[in-house]
Amino acid sequence: MLSDSTRGEIERLVATFPESRSALLPALKLAQRDAGWLPREAIAEAADLVGVPHAAALEIAMFYTMLHTEPVPRTRVVVCAQLPCALRGAEELIRELRTVQSESVEIERTSECFGACHRAPMARIGEQYRENLVGDERRRLIEELRQA
Amino acid sequence: MTVAVDYQRVLLPHPGRTEPVSLKDYQAEDGYAGWKKAITTMTPDQVVEEVKASGLRGRGGAGFPTGSKWGFIPKAPGAKYVAVNADESEPGTFKDRELMEIEPHRVLEGVALCCYAIGAETAFIYIRGEYVCAADRLEAAIADAEAANLLGQGCQGTSVNVRIIVFRGAGAYICGEETALLESLEGHRPMPRSRPPFPAVEGLYRRPTVINNVETLANVPSIVHRGSAWYNTIGVPPRNTGPKIFCLSGRVNRPGNYELPLGAVTIRELIEQYGGGVIGGKAVKGVLTAGVSAPILTPDKLDTKLDYDSVQAAGSMLGSASLIVLDEDTCIVRAAALMEEFFRHESCGKCTPCREGTSWLFKILSRIEAGRGVPGDLDLLLSLSGEISGKVLCALGDFATSPVVATVKQFREEYERHISGQGCPFEPW
Repeated sequence: MLSDSTRGEIERLVATFPESRSALLPALKLAQRDAGWLPREAIAEAADLVGVPHAAALEIAMFYTMLHTEPVPRTRVVVCAQLPCALRGAEELIRELRTVQSESVEIERTSECFGACHRAPMARIGEQYRENLVGDERRRLIEELRQA
Repeated sequence: MTVAVDYQRVLLPHPGRTEPVSLKDYQAEDGYAGWKKAITTMTPDQVVEEVKASGLRGRGGAGFPTGSKWGFIPKAPGAKYVAVNADESEPGTFKDRELMEIEPHRVLEGVALCCYAIGAETAFIYIRGEYVCAADRLEAAIADAEAANLLGQGCQGTSVNVRIIVFRGAGAYICGEETALLESLEGHRPMPRSRPPFPAVEGLYRRPTVINNVETLANVPSIVHRGSAWYNTIGVPPRNTGPKIFCLSGRVNRPGNYELPLGAVTIRELIEQYGGGVIGGKAVKGVLTAGVSAPILTPDKLDTKLDYDSVQAAGSMLGSASLIVLDEDTCIVRAAALMEEFFRHESCGKCTPCREGTSWLFKILSRIEAGRGVPGDLDLLLSLSGEISGKVLCALGDFATSPVVATVKQFREEYERHISGQGCPFEPW
């Protein structure tokens, strides 16, 4: 089920490391790009390409927060609510963002810190950081999500 | 802004910059001069000795002497590795991110010098998956440095080979624990290893491995280029030398990264003269100095100098120097619950006391905050903490108890008010 280009990239990765199993986590990240999440078949295929048991790949896929073993909405907004962000209005931001939550836009609160405490409050949308989410920045984001 | 210290920045010389310093610009500022000096005029042992003489201590949190760590690597032939800990995930910490995003070559030069010093030809930069921009910039910088023959095979016409690989994580605080980081790199679940053997003897792929933090290695180029004697003029020798990036966050007017010599300013000076004071002129209720992983300091400790030994003497740890400022309107129970929520989320689950204990600590703190606390809860929190601390394989378990133990001890009256009043007396935030 993986695309030819993903298979090719994983094969190249396996040759990069002194021991091929090191390619497992990067392989799963590549595999996730194809469907936006990791169906069991994709995990199994990545495991075969790296040369590890399927269970070994599954336990990696289930451990990390950035790997998804279930489908995720098209736009996933992850808002940090850990202490430095909470001290600068993260909960209020979450409440406001949730007013535009829809089937395709998910607002997720996390206790994980993303290293943007000096530009709090913040959110991660896909691979992008959206920081200093106050005033105009916040209004702009809410408008974007409404259109998403 | 009042500047308290007349100091020429070493690690982040371009505050406010948003684009990475290019190879050309880095070289114009003596970039890679230390690297060229080392591989053409110094033996690996001389590099180790220079770093030992500098007094550099690990900037990731533990403060272990870097030169000594390098000196533990056996001299016997065979593969050795450098693993760079760029899994910066401690709440309140954002210094390595700026170093990698703005000064990627300074980091790479430090990595290369570490490789040369211990006889490694391959280094992995283990960077947290969320730091996509930093990882992309590091990879671009590696390509530029290889094209200029500064990295790669036969660097600068010598027989020195250095290959640096950026390895992107996928969201797990535990990967900042050095043996969990190695497990992750090897394609296993990132759970800490039992020690001994220590990584210096049996690390990555069961070979001798040095694991250093990004900021630690970013100090090394100038130590080698300008010498340990110069480095000792910064900070408070012999135990607190060199520059340090202080991450300031929370209820201050100007949060950010502030690079200063170790021991140059007090917590109060950092907050007031660099951070622009507390928002709204409020009073400080407490300051966390090592993210959420060390005891909170109360306002009577604000005149503590910011160096390893002074902060320790005040009852906490400098750690990664991530200062989170809580003001008088901050509910300490809610703050403790937030911190514990983090540890509950990040416990890898390997050791039972940490896996179960962090969850229970969070539940008890949450019920106190919600007004459902009962009189025995505070002693229960302390005894439960005692069942975690020191009874687990890695430091996460110990870290997880400090928000609880320190706040219950220092703000007991506030906890009791939550329990007797059956609710939180503060405005929600």
